[in-house]
This record gives sequence, structure tokens and C-alpha cells, in this order.
Amino acid sequence: MTSVGRVSSDSQQIARGLRERDIALLHALVEQYQYRLVRYLIYLLGRRDEVDDLVQETWVRVLERGRSYDGRSRFEPWLFAIARNLTIDHMRTRKTWSLDTALDTDDEEEQVPRSPASLDPSPFVLAARTEDAQRLAQSMQTLDFIYREVLVLRFQEDLSLQEVATVIGAPVSTVASRIYRGLQTLRSLLDGAKHEN
Amino acid sequence: MKTDPHATIRDLIDKTLAGGASPEDDQSLQEHLAACAQCQEYLSAGNRVIAGLGGFSFDVDPGLEGKVLRSLRVRAQQLETAQSNRRRIVWGCVAALVLLITGSWVALEFGNLIAAELNLPPMQVQRLLLLLWVVPSLCLSLLFPVLPLLSRREERFL
Repeated sequence: MTSVGRVSSDSQQIARGLRERDIALLHALVEQYQYRLVRYLIYLLGRRDEVDDLVQETWVRVLERGRSYDGRSRFEPWLFAIARNLTIDHMRTRKTWSLDTALDTDDEEEQVPRSPASLDPSPFVLAARTEDAQRLAQSMQTLDFIYREVLVLRFQEDLSLQEVATVIGAPVSTVASRIYRGLQTLRSLLDGAKHEN
Repeated sequence: MKTDPHATIRDLIDKTLAGGASPEDDQSLQEHLAACAQCQEYLSAGNRVIAGLGGFSFDVDPGLEGKVLRSLRVRAQQLETAQSNRRRIVWGCVAALVLLITGSWVALEFGNLIAAELNLPPMQVQRLLLLLWVVPSLCLSLLFPVLPLLSRREERFL
């Protein structure tokens, strides 16, 4: 069977299981996607403390809205889109920061909340396992979430530009420009850090 | 106006790294890179960023999976109960409507026959049928759709 055929049959199977609210299938999905979901949410939020609650909420939403997944595309983009919407709602309603400042737009087409400043140690500093990651860790915290999320979806989750566009609900051109800008920002910060050392 | 060829190539490198370059773009990029150390460095810096992104390893709470599964089970049960309640309401509504239609039909078609059989005035029999059959089924068919609203209101008070 080709990989496309396998993806499609896997997706169909998942769609069928979600329609029937099959708990065994959900268990398997939780096992398979838990780490990736946690990683995506950390990249989105830029902090660790609220991730577990959002993971739970995401899976409950998957159970509730499972019937809207038709199995014609891969499961991951659908899952990440649910997690993203919940995270944005969560960030909008968070009491510790003002919505007016959060929705401060620049040249982006879409109004998305920005990550609040946190006093907790950066999850990226704690999670850096390689030299390059250690250099990137501080920059990741200051990079806007709109850039972090496209970078993780494209390079960690290996989603195509079209799939990333589906997850964030923006045109492919916007996704591409965010990836360029994210990469450029990190590249210059990485160079700066390297010269400092 | 002259454009900087390196700037164009750097854009192309970003495009390639993002996964949006065409085979023609790729071809011209390879040709330029073969002779340009400056752009090679730009590409390897981009690759280092991407590799750096893969160098984060986050810890996942080992108890999280259990928590997720517990909340999934609870929610699935709630959804199942809500669904069976909805089904019961729909069937109740359908049954009440069937009773309403049958009652009206019986009152119209057989009211006179029953009145003759029981030696009663036909109007009285029709009124009795309306009162004991048609009106209750009408009330039931109106009540069933508002039952969920009433129970939600009750839950809010508790």
C-alpha cells in the first residue's frame, strides 16, 4: 500500500472511531499524540504550567467534536487546530493580562493574542538538549507565538504548508511569510549569541 | 534599479527551507550555492536553526495520560446520557403526535358511531374524546420539546 493510501485508510479508521466515540481508539490516539500535543502547546503558550489542562481540554473536545472529522485529510492538522483554538480562547480569557494589549496588531492579517510575560523559567531553556537548542532557547521565549507555532508545525510536526495553513486558518502565503520571518529572527539571534560566546 | 543577487538567493533559501520552492527555484539555488560561500553560510545558519528546534525535549507528566483518559470516560458517559435523553424526548414527542392525530381522527370519524352505540348526543362524545384524548396528547407533544430547557433551569437552581 502507498503511504497516501495508508494515511487515508488510517484517517478513515480514526474518523469512524470518533463518530462512534470509541474510547479504545481515543486511548490509542492519546498514547500516540500526547507528546506532540504537549510540545505544540508549549510552543504556542511559551510556558509549561497551563499545558496539562489544555491537553485534557483538547482531548475532551476531540471526543465531543469527533463527528466533524471526515477522515479525508490527516488527523494531526485537525487535532492541532482544536488545540490552537482552545489555546487562543484560553489566552483571551486569561485574567492576568489585558485583552487590549494582547490583541495589539502589527502588519499581520489575523488578530491573535501574544504570549504574556511569565516569571517562570522558560520551558525552552529547561528543554534544550543540544548546543544549538541552548542558544535558541532564550530567543524562543521572546519570539512571537505566531512565528513559534508555524516553526513547530512545519519543522517538528512535519506538516506541509497547506496543512499548517489549515491549522492556523490563514492563507499559505501568510504561513510561508511567517516561517521566513521566524527563521530570519532566530537566525540573527543565533548568530548574535554565537558571536557573544 | 539593480537587485542584489545574494538577497534574491537568500529569499530563495528561506523559501526552500519553508518547503515552498519549485524544482526550478531549487535548480537555480544549487547553481548559485556551488560558487557562493556567503550564501552557503546563510543556508547552513538556517539549517542550524531548524536543527536547534529539534533539540528541545519536553518532559510529559506521566500521570497526564491517566487524567486525560479519566476525563474522556466521564465526558463520554455524560454525552451518552444526554444522547439517550434526547432520543427519549424525540420518541416521546413522536408518540404524542401520533396519539394526537389518531385521537382527532377517531373523534371525527367514530364520534357519531360511538354516540349511537352508547345512546349519547354526538357532540358530548366528541367533547369527551377531545378532553380525554386529544387535549392530553396535544399537551404532551408540546411539553416534550421544552423538557430539556426545564431540566437545565432546574440544574441551575440546584
